[in-house]
Amino acid sequence: MIALRQILLLLGKDLRIEARTRQALALVLVLGILIVVVLALGLQGGNARGGLSATAILWVAYLFGGAMCFEKTMAVETHDGALAGLLMAPMDRGVIYLSKLLANLVLMATLAIVITPVGVVLFGFDLSRAPLAFASVVGASLIGYAAIGTLFSGLVASSRLSGGLLAVVVFPLSLPLVIASTQLLKGVFEHGNALDASAMGVIVAFDVIFLTVSWIVFELVIEP
Amino acid sequence: MSSSTRKLVIRAYWIVTLLVLAVGVWLSAYYAPIESEMGVIQKVFYFHLPAAFCMFGACFLVFVAGAGYLWQRDQRWDDLADAAAHVAVLLASVVLLTGMLWAKKAWGQWWTWSPRLTFSLILWLLYVVYLILRASIDSAQKRAMVCAVYGVIAFLDVPLVYLSVKLMDDIHPSSVELEPSMLLTLIVWMAGVALLTAGLVAGRFRLARISHKKSHDASGVTGGMA
Repeated sequence: MIALRQILLLLGKDLRIEARTRQALALVLVLGILIVVVLALGLQGGNARGGLSATAILWVAYLFGGAMCFEKTMAVETHDGALAGLLMAPMDRGVIYLSKLLANLVLMATLAIVITPVGVVLFGFDLSRAPLAFASVVGASLIGYAAIGTLFSGLVASSRLSGGLLAVVVFPLSLPLVIASTQLLKGVFEHGNALDASAMGVIVAFDVIFLTVSWIVFELVIEP
Repeated sequence: MSSSTRKLVIRAYWIVTLLVLAVGVWLSAYYAPIESEMGVIQKVFYFHLPAAFCMFGACFLVFVAGAGYLWQRDQRWDDLADAAAHVAVLLASVVLLTGMLWAKKAWGQWWTWSPRLTFSLILWLLYVVYLILRASIDSAQKRAMVCAVYGVIAFLDVPLVYLSVKLMDDIHPSSVELEPSMLLTLIVWMAGVALLTAGLVAGRFRLARISHKKSHDASGVTGGMA
């Protein structure tokens, strides 16, 4: 109960900082829209229409936007010794991980809510055929992506590495999510299939494994 | 073990390794028959499959060394992970290139998004990123910590990559039947590549240990003079 209160307290702090400065979200949303527009224009002036193109391009926007979210939510702790102060607080470091994870998920959910309609409009993607399947696949995938992204953003912040490296590290690790979710959505939107249990199993396994491992390892690696 | 005995053992090890590989080359060139469908290009299989097995071994070693470092914080684990990761990338490159040669002959193009080629590519990417990560961090302790975490996470990712690529359409043969002469050639190659892999990992590990010792000695001398 105390841990939950601490998580909500830290999450509230991160979201309040974001609401007041509007640094991360504005940047992430504009970047996401730009990626979708540039790729739509690049793919034969927007002629590559349909579910498969839309989901693939939306994934590119989610990946880049997500990497920027991870970087920004951890960057607020790197100024003025904020991370050292946070680590000195009498709480489990796993609490810090979970609060950062939730902050990232809130930002990424906002990104997905804004970017997905842009993709739907530009690619003539008929999302109304299976909106729940789309939301559950993308939602479950973004949880796994945020799990490893939050861990490595902590490592990058602790090691004073350049931000660009974060994307290089998390993209290859998240490829199983990209492959499983695009294959799932291809089956649902192109062939009218129900959600494939084995593909969904890969996404859920990814979420469970990396949420657990990241939560355990975060404690070992985060340093002021 | 004295220095001269160690040198002798290392020399004997490499002579045996090269001999086994030479026998493997001879067997694949003159003893194993030419496969009827794939022709001469099938012979890359004798190098491709052992390289793939040893690549998994090297990736597992990166995982074990990473977990060992997180547990004990001993620099030797990090040196072992570094050595294994370099060899894993080398072997993954061999697997990828020989797979592409096979794809060109079998399907008329250098690249197809078949599950196994995709799997090799993602594995190669995962461990190339590991090397980039190592090169990006100056502090030895930070580098060891970050790379240990990445090494553990990357290896846990491997079965998920495998399961996810299995969802893609496959044009690969699901099993390969080998004649006894082909099997013998494969076994010799397997032994040769395994010896080569172990030798390369051990060699790089030893180099890293010597380098650490030298830099430690040098910093000690500088510190003393200061």
